[in-house]
Amino acid sequence: MQQHDQAVWNDTNTDGYEPLLSEKDQTAIDVEYEGLPDDLTRETLELPSLSEPEVARHYTRLSQMNYGIDSGPYPLGSCTMKYNPRFTEDVAARSEAAVHPDRAEESVQGTLQLYHELQEYLGRIGGMDAVTLQPPAGAAGEFTGILVAKAYHERNGEGEQRSEVIVPASAHGTNFASAAMAGYDVVELPGDEDGRVDLDALRSAVGEETAALMLTNPNTLGLFERDIEEIADLVHDAGGLLYYDGANLNALLGRARPGDMGFDIMHYNVHKTFATPHGGGGPGAGPIGVTAELESFLPTPQIEEKDGEYELIEPAHSVGKVHGAMGNWLVLIKAHAYICRLGDEGLKDTSAKAVLNANYLASQIDLEIPFGPFHHEFVASAGELDAADFAKRMLDYGVHPPTTKWPEIVSEALMTEPTEAESKTTLDQLAAAFNAVASEEEATIAAAPEKTSARYIDQTSAARSPQLSWHALSSDE
Amino acid sequence: MEFEIPAERRYAESHEWAANQTDTVRVGISDFAQDELGDIVFVDLPPEGETLDQGEELGVLESIKAVSDIYVPVAGTVTAINEDVIDSPELINEDPYGDGWLVELEPEGDLEHLLDAAEYEEMI
Amino acid sequence: MSYHDQLQQTKTTPTGSTGSPFAPHTEADVEAMLQAIGAESIEDLFDIPASVRFDAEFGIEAASEQEVVQRVTKVLGQNDSAIEFLGRGHYDHYVPSLVDHLADRSEFLTSYTQYQPEVTQGFLQALFEYQSLLVELTGLEIANCSMYDAATALGEAATLSQRVRSVSGNRVLVPDILRDERRAVLENYASGSSLVIDEYSTTNGVVDPDALSGVLDDDVALVYVENPTTTGLIQEQLEEIGTLLADDDVLFCLGSDPIALSLLQPPASIGADVVVGDASVLGLGSAYGTGLGLFACREKFLRQVPGRLVGASRDESDHRAYTLTLQTREQHIRRERATSNICTNQAWVALRAAIHASLLGPDGLVDLAKKCHQLPEALAKELNEIDGISAPVHDGHHFREFRVSVEPDAEDLVSNLYAEGVAVHAVDADTIQICVTDINERQTEELVTAITKVLD
Repeated sequence: MQQHDQAVWNDTNTDGYEPLLSEKDQTAIDVEYEGLPDDLTRETLELPSLSEPEVARHYTRLSQMNYGIDSGPYPLGSCTMKYNPRFTEDVAARSEAAVHPDRAEESVQGTLQLYHELQEYLGRIGGMDAVTLQPPAGAAGEFTGILVAKAYHERNGEGEQRSEVIVPASAHGTNFASAAMAGYDVVELPGDEDGRVDLDALRSAVGEETAALMLTNPNTLGLFERDIEEIADLVHDAGGLLYYDGANLNALLGRARPGDMGFDIMHYNVHKTFATPHGGGGPGAGPIGVTAELESFLPTPQIEEKDGEYELIEPAHSVGKVHGAMGNWLVLIKAHAYICRLGDEGLKDTSAKAVLNANYLASQIDLEIPFGPFHHEFVASAGELDAADFAKRMLDYGVHPPTTKWPEIVSEALMTEPTEAESKTTLDQLAAAFNAVASEEEATIAAAPEKTSARYIDQTSAARSPQLSWHALSSDE
Repeated sequence: MEFEIPAERRYAESHEWAANQTDTVRVGISDFAQDELGDIVFVDLPPEGETLDQGEELGVLESIKAVSDIYVPVAGTVTAINEDVIDSPELINEDPYGDGWLVELEPEGDLEHLLDAAEYEEMI
Repeated sequence: MSYHDQLQQTKTTPTGSTGSPFAPHTEADVEAMLQAIGAESIEDLFDIPASVRFDAEFGIEAASEQEVVQRVTKVLGQNDSAIEFLGRGHYDHYVPSLVDHLADRSEFLTSYTQYQPEVTQGFLQALFEYQSLLVELTGLEIANCSMYDAATALGEAATLSQRVRSVSGNRVLVPDILRDERRAVLENYASGSSLVIDEYSTTNGVVDPDALSGVLDDDVALVYVENPTTTGLIQEQLEEIGTLLADDDVLFCLGSDPIALSLLQPPASIGADVVVGDASVLGLGSAYGTGLGLFACREKFLRQVPGRLVGASRDESDHRAYTLTLQTREQHIRRERATSNICTNQAWVALRAAIHASLLGPDGLVDLAKKCHQLPEALAKELNEIDGISAPVHDGHHFREFRVSVEPDAEDLVSNLYAEGVAVHAVDADTIQICVTDINERQTEELVTAITKVLD
């Protein structure tokens, strides 16, 4: 294995690997302005004052201490870290794309057309009758979807009665948090020994207090919920709605649609399935799709098309707004471009290759994978080794590790999703990394990582005595 | 792994211990519990004077990776909280039965319903 | 498949699938992989019941990169070109070119949330610096590394008030001029708890402490004040408001932005407990409302803060190193008891804002802010000379924008101005609002000409 070094630098202020901006310069200025009364302005301001070349160097160095999907594989389960097609950046950067949100409708028909097209395309892809692009992230989409469910039940006079949202124990934390934010009690649903929804447990859990069941399909083990139609019936018969968490949609593109399975509401993660860049934590976008019955509850405004003109419409029983404007438009426009590029066959091929890659990678890894048949992701067990330590050791092999310790049904879980964008060669390298670590001494693994720039960061002190700004540092040092 | 389980205390299934004092009962978490949690970074306890029913939430302990609710093993009114652990949560990890105590209560009822040391050891 | 093969791809052919241009497999690869798996075909890998299979088409044609770019450019070309003099909470300033070139570096752009800090020190440090920038500008001790936008940040401030032990009430007071969109988002954030949103009267957004005092009671948990307001006016009695709200039982939440904060009174010095707003005034601009939610607050609320926090620590070689910290507040650990459901945030937009601020430095920020006062003042004077309108409508100091009195109907005037290639806000039947910053300061002549022409 080759190790390559980025350019090495030698700064005199090396308390950190790269000095803070504030360590390069801090300039305190007096703020004086005759235009406004003194008591309405601040007196001083102290911030780094650097030249453009210094700023360029600082951030370039920071980028060299950062791993992105362009650096190497990122097989994080349920994250769908796939290649971010660069041409979508160009599309988003076009100045005509960045209009002010208060522009008159008639004057931004181009923007509205793209917005409308994306609503349309996502609806077709998910099998949903109507889509809003407004939620600015997946969790925001969940919150929006639950608000729609709430409004629906309230309109039926069952708002008070339906106080519970059911969430599988293996679900993403945002599901629980989003339901709670909307004021619901969360009922946790245990899975069965095969890792899927336990139908008996579900039968006991659903009832007249059920507002919704939130599910992802395939689930976090990568397994398709074969009984999904029966699950849908159980929930609907009890008067509840079925919500689809779109994190794992990459496995189904062009082959199955949540709307056809009985889901009433779904969110899409455009920064997962539709390849918009993760940007170090965001921005993403979490559009939601709903059946015709729920369309009137969608956030406002919706874009509708009439005789070739696009207009902003307020749905009849809209839940209001979940974002101050139209959502993360600069992200949405990238998802639109991606879908246009791929088209039907590209989208269908995406799920094919995603599932092929996961299955191939799994076949090459020496670890146990207790649950199958999986699709685009699988959960391996690190066995006797600690999954978090295993992950740290993988960093030494130049790959980003999978998601660890989740779902809990697999001990020392390593949830792995390579996505369709990795080549066979890369998958072989990834498998080699897994296997190398799996065969190493516990002591070696426990000592990892060795080759990364930072190692063994003290998390305990960071939490016990938080220092969250350079101001906090200077008061201690 | 061997966990300390002092014989003279009583234990709840949720891993809190209770020790009889002259007029009050002192409460903390067991050695097993502190080990499970990992390095404790934050302690949230109720104010003095708060009255709690048995099994009600007494407070929250946070480590880097987990949040653990602690439940009062016997009903009572809080008469004292250990300020030291608020400032230095590591005391709970280092000395869970001594300096790492959490609260003192004026109890309603006795500790008979709790597990004794042998029963608690069985359980874990 | 090579890039060359990708370039040849255009539409669907009846005989074969062209596949995803971003899946690198050759036919030989697929064969070898299927063999290793022990499967006959890719289809065999799917375990989807026939009853829920989708065998139809979406009706979306594949296209080459060139075709997509050309088509989207053409569609966007249908937007009317207009010089925007628009603000009201979404502002444009000139973003230096270097911001794009640095933020677009793929190590930043294509990276994930920093759950493995050892390999993401770069972005963590950039976010730590962004937090520090906001700490300096607000004077408050804590700033998170982003919420979605100003409206959702306000929603989070409201739910924060319910988690703070010393706050017993459930009423959130917002100014009567609060933008409808922000109010609507706030209502949704409040809907999961016993929070109630009420209005208090202002004079065009300017808060009178005596009037506010009249509506305060023990039930009030949070009072929200904007500075500057979306009417363009600068608050004149923030200190008095801070004194009024000094009780631990009520949170004083100020709405602002980093450029305004560079010049106007520091929130900490006027007694604010929480600051929210949109920080994308740096690094991004209005971008059809995309946004960068600013959230800063006092240290004592630390455990209740929503969103990600980057902290400094040390690693084993005793170098300072950065890490996401206090994650137990967040959804992936605390689930339904998390401080917020937020996971994906606006991190990359925060990076852009930080780079922009680094380029400006304190002098650049203050100069830009001064301009935000000078430009509207000068433009209002100039417009006032035109017969039939008067500006500014309000007495007081303006930041970026001001209102203009016009003959009814303002909607018609605005429409006619669009036809002349300039965009302004219609506020009501006889008022329009105009925003002027460094982004359009050299085009005010076009505005003046257009207004003069239309009113003739």
